[in-house]
Order: sequence, then C-alpha cells, then structure tokens
Amino acid sequence: MEPVIEVKNVSKSFRKTVALNGVSFSVPAGVVFAVLGENGAGKTTLIRSLLGLERPSSGNMKMLGMDPVKDGLAIRRQTGYVSDSPALYQWMTVRQIAHFTASFYPDGFLASFEQLASELDLPLDERIKNLSKGGRAKVSLALSMAHQPELLILDEPTSGLDAIVRRHFLNSMIDIAAEGRTVLLSSHQIGEVERVADWVAVIRQGELVACDELANLKARFERWIITVDSPESAIETSGVHLVNHEGKGRKRQQLVLFDVAAGAIEKFRQQENIVDVEVHCASLEEIFVALMKSQALASVSYPLVKPAGVAGEFSNALTGHGKTIVPSVVDAEDQP
Amino acid sequence: MYFEIDSSNGVPVWEQVYRQVAFAIANGIIVPGEHVPSVRSLARDLAINPNTVVRAYRDLQAEGVVEVIRGSGMMVTKAARGKCKTIRTRVFKHQMKSMIQEARRSQLSDDEIRQLLERSLK
Repeated sequence: MEPVIEVKNVSKSFRKTVALNGVSFSVPAGVVFAVLGENGAGKTTLIRSLLGLERPSSGNMKMLGMDPVKDGLAIRRQTGYVSDSPALYQWMTVRQIAHFTASFYPDGFLASFEQLASELDLPLDERIKNLSKGGRAKVSLALSMAHQPELLILDEPTSGLDAIVRRHFLNSMIDIAAEGRTVLLSSHQIGEVERVADWVAVIRQGELVACDELANLKARFERWIITVDSPESAIETSGVHLVNHEGKGRKRQQLVLFDVAAGAIEKFRQQENIVDVEVHCASLEEIFVALMKSQALASVSYPLVKPAGVAGEFSNALTGHGKTIVPSVVDAEDQP
Repeated sequence: MYFEIDSSNGVPVWEQVYRQVAFAIANGIIVPGEHVPSVRSLARDLAINPNTVVRAYRDLQAEGVVEVIRGSGMMVTKAARGKCKTIRTRVFKHQMKSMIQEARRSQLSDDEIRQLLERSLK
C-alpha cells in the first residue's frame, strides 16, 4: 500500500534558525505514528508543512498522494487536524460551530459530529467561551473527526488536559487505527505513546534521530546497570554502541546501548573493575532521554532511522518555486 | 475477566496481552467455546493500539488456542486449556531462570537460593 505521508529531505529555516534539517521518512497507512521531540525540536513545523501551512525551504513531501505546497487546501479537507492551541470562535455554541464547519465538508458531517459529541459528553448548546480547556479540546477533536478523515493529525492535543479527556483522545486514536485509518501524533506523554503507537520518530534539533516501528526500536536498546569496584574505575565501552552513560565516578552507573552484539555482555563482565552488570529493557522514555542527551549523536550518524519506503516520483514543485534556501549552520544555542 | 497493562515493565505490551489471555484460559476463567474479547473492545479497555491486540491474538491462533469464527470473532478451541497450561509453565520457568541468574550474579549460592525458594513457598 502506498504510504500516507512521504517526506524526503525536507528542511525549513526561519531566518537564522533551522527548524528542520534534511528530514526523510514515510508513514504507512493504517498505523498510529508518533513524533517525539523536545519543545522546539521542529515537530509543529513538520506538521504545519505537511498541511501546507508552511512552505519548506527545500525537499519534497507527499500527503495522501498530494503535494502540500500546491494542494494544501485539498489535503486539509481530507485530513483531521487538532493543533496544540485550537482556534475556535468563542461566541459560538458547540452546535453553531459544527454547522459552520459542516459547510466546508460533504454531507454527513453534522450527524457524525453529533454522535461524536455525545460520545465525548459535549453539551451542544453551550458557548465555546464557557467550556473548560478540556471541553474545547473535545470540540476540536470532534470537528476534526466528523468528516471521517483518512488521516488524523494531533499536535500535542492533550498537553494540560485531565486524564479523562486524554482517555477520550486515546480511544479516538484506537478507533481510527482499528478502522485501518492513520494517525499522526505529536506528544510529550511518552507513556501514552508507548501504549498506542505502532511507529515512533524522534526529532532532535530539527533532525530525525530515530524512526522505526516501536517494537523494533525497543528491541534494539538495552539498559545496563553496572557496579564498579571503586568510584575511580574507568570502564571500557569501546566494544558496545553506547548512547548514554549516567553516573560517572559513582559505584553504580547506567549505560544505554543499542544493537548489543551476542557475547558483548560476557566480555564486558570480564573487565576487572566491574563487579556486576544487570541487563534491563529500556522503556521508550529511557530511549528518548538517552537519544536527547547523547553527545555522540552530533557527529555519529545513527543507523536508527529505517530507510523510507520506496518513494514514488516526487514532483519537483518546490525547486520550481525559485530559489532553494540552504539551511545555514548555527550554533546549538541558537536553535529553537 | 480483567486485563491490565503496564507499558513500562519491560515485557512487550503484546506479550502481556498474550500471557493474560493464555493464563485466563489455563485458569478456567475463559472456557473452550467462549469468545475472547474483540480486538477493538480490548484495545479500548486497555487503551492500547489495536494492532498490538492483533499481534497477541495471531500468536494465540498460531498455537491453536483460539480460532477465527467467520462473522463472530475469535473462539477458544477445545484443546486450548492444555495448551495454555503449557504456555503458563513456559512463562514461569523462564521468569524463574532469570531470577536465579540474577541471584547467582549477586553471589548467592545455589543452596541459599533453594532455601529462599522453600521459605517463600510456605
């Protein structure tokens, strides 16, 4: 099946700031695809570019077989989008905003909206301005799902919302995935992502540092808790792919590793100053933190990004729009 | 029947579903001829990805524990209880092995481990 989203070597700069730097990946149909990254890593820029709300400085993208630069409107009509700060007309009631939005979409929107509203316990005659933050988020969710989009995009939809509303969002994602439709989710709730995502992409300072099926990604990481004989002991880590190392000098230290070779642990245990090594699975949160902290990442190209599927022929629309801006190299401190 | 998922305990989520369904059958909580919960309802109850439930059910199906009944979902097979008891034994054997390994690495002697086990069994 053709991927729902294809991103090829996309960069975006705002003046001196590089928001995205050579990002490539593709999202297969029927999955929950989560994008993780620190605040300002470039997640929202990526999503807005996919929806045609931002124009990338260079690179190609395809959404539902269309080019966001040319067909942004068509893409937005076939996609559901909940932004991190939904803009709703405050003076309208829930029913009125549904009527208003329905005029942009085919028939059936209203009936579908009302059903969603009742599942979400939304009061139809309440004004938006009188709703709580969670209530507004639910209105936004119902509006973005009422036209049965093939693709639902959620940009940090649940930040600052209570557990009940978050559960509504989770259930909606589960329903969409169960119907074979696709969800693109950006979130800071790593525990939730770990439950619902099939695929995970990690963006760090505008660069894609990992992108794989969640199960594959987790299978490639291990967390070792090592005990050394004295605080001064240096440990030899050259035989393993080390992502992060915490607790220097102390007796117990934590290493996060990936692609651990068979027999590597025995060799490691043989080091004289190592008393014990415990092997643990790394949770997604630990993998995420390790990837964010890893000093090596800047220089080493990590083979954690699964190559994007065989991409179709991209139309060269972007380069046709005159000059292609090459992202300037800036210091890490300048980055968002 | 009540299932529970802990996404951070190191056991993959699909395997937690697989084990809990298998254990429920082994313990006689779900009996042959009964349906297991649908993919969607279990995914919603546990707030997990439906594909994760599919993965667990696929493995259970491959082991002959459940079978697809066209149009009505997945049913527990006649031979399921015996098979699930085997699965249960396999899982606990594995867990005990890794516990013993950890104890040995912490320099407990096999005698001490045996004593601990005996005492814990009381």
